Amino acid sequence: MDASDRRKRVAEEAAEWWVTLQGDVSRARREQYVDWLRESPIHVAEMLQVAQVHGALEEFQRWSRIPIDGSREDDENIVTLPSALRDPEVERSQSEARPRRPFVWAVAAALLIITSTAAVLLFGGRGGVIQTERGERREVALADGSVVQIDPETRLRIKYEERIRRVFLDRGRALFHVAKNTERPFLVESNNTTVRAVGTAFAVEQQDNESVLVTVAEGKVAVFSTQPLSTAVPATPNSAGSAEMHTNVSTGTSAHPLAESSSPAGEPRSEGESPSARLPNGAAPEIYLTANQQVAVGHSGSAQPVHAVDSGRALAWADGRLIFENSSVANAIQQFNRYNRIQIVVNDANLAHRPISGVFSAADPESFAAFLQSVARVRVTHSDNADITIDAIK
Amino acid sequence: MSKQDSKGRLADWFRQWRVPLRKFLVGRGAIPASDLDDVAQEVFLRLMRYERAEIIENPQAYLYKMASNVAAEWAIRGRYVRPHESKWLAGLSAEDRAEDEASQVELQNEVERALLTLAPRQREVLRLQFFEGLSRMQIAERIGTSERSVKRTLIKSYEMLRVKLDAELLKGITDGRE
Repeated sequence: MDASDRRKRVAEEAAEWWVTLQGDVSRARREQYVDWLRESPIHVAEMLQVAQVHGALEEFQRWSRIPIDGSREDDENIVTLPSALRDPEVERSQSEARPRRPFVWAVAAALLIITSTAAVLLFGGRGGVIQTERGERREVALADGSVVQIDPETRLRIKYEERIRRVFLDRGRALFHVAKNTERPFLVESNNTTVRAVGTAFAVEQQDNESVLVTVAEGKVAVFSTQPLSTAVPATPNSAGSAEMHTNVSTGTSAHPLAESSSPAGEPRSEGESPSARLPNGAAPEIYLTANQQVAVGHSGSAQPVHAVDSGRALAWADGRLIFENSSVANAIQQFNRYNRIQIVVNDANLAHRPISGVFSAADPESFAAFLQSVARVRVTHSDNADITIDAIK
Repeated sequence: MSKQDSKGRLADWFRQWRVPLRKFLVGRGAIPASDLDDVAQEVFLRLMRYERAEIIENPQAYLYKMASNVAAEWAIRGRYVRPHESKWLAGLSAEDRAEDEASQVELQNEVERALLTLAPRQREVLRLQFFEGLSRMQIAERIGTSERSVKRTLIKSYEMLRVKLDAELLKGITDGRE
């Protein structure tokens, strides 16, 4: 089914929902509707389209001029207009209007609610690159039903293979809600660090100092370091350790004593040794993280001690919230500026260093400016392009 | 809440929502359908942030409200992004008054043209609903069919009008304004 077929089908569903919702609707039906709406932005878009149609009909004033001759002879099955009557002019302009930004829609079509089980298979097996700009956040459903929440200024490459799901985080950060599939491990690789999950939610962030920060929200993951194979595996036959490693990972997941407890009941167990022991280079052992734990791994594989975090707070960015605790105003503004086209500038060093705490909507720099105004003597001004400048009042 | 109240409120929401959204779409002057898709994308993300239980009470109201908010926010940003286009800037600031006549005529013509492509039965059902204000049950009685059949006819009509009106309708409004 191609995109236009899908769009057409969604349009039909939207029309049906629209008309249904004009009448009395049971709670169960409304629940179905909300779930449908939250399945895909295309559903939302088509719902808005039907609303446009409805609005146009409401504003139409020439009903008395609309002929209804022949209505009584209409049979139910003539309701669909024969294609010969379709206006070719309209059809053509439609197709001209469509081709814009197919990629954006391919991605948009793949957006899915986290709790939804129905995945839109637009990313297919081919994989692809997902890149977000400053001020852009995205949620993408991958072919296997996993969902990724992607922060601004992030680049991901998706590479799904038959026995392994691989995602490369080239920069930025993303939160992964991994669809469980014990036969097909999910690996996120970033700057020589690999995070492996079976079915869980975790975030990977490439930090400014080149270290990789891994935070687990649910379940368990294994973190290990990978050196480039060219240096690590000088003469291994069978096309290097990569393929071998994947095999080991997929069969050996449950063998690790720590992974065992997190494995779902009934997962096939292997007698094999821990995957880390068979990593091509063995530069660093695996680190196991459970929910509400976080670790930072350096480029060379050196890991900081695992520490406990409140993952709800640590991963608030994925929900579009920014949480600051004794953070400097300058740091907070840097965060806001990443999430928004509207940029904030502070023109006072004392103010920039002032510590603040609070929870903010990342998409709302205005509220942050208003907050500063409420706690400090500052003047907030807006430039022509809506950027916000904050000055101290001397 | 009585049925009537609920319907009246929904209609209010609907009207409130259309104003900022149209302002936004008209203001863009780009390909309107793509803008609506953009709005939908953002609305979708916002829908995710709400509790499901919260939305379920009145899902359409949430949908309109969010679309309205997104459009309003973006219209403000858009005004800054394209300050040189004074033509539609003037249009924006004067937005609270009634639509100018030219765009109204465009809209009327466009809807009329689209309606004429429908089957007579579809035209009649729409006319009974929008012009005479009949309920689905009343329409069914009038034309001697079931309510279910009226519903099917309405759905089919919306579907077809969506294809006929998409982009062109909005483009008409834009042209009328510029």
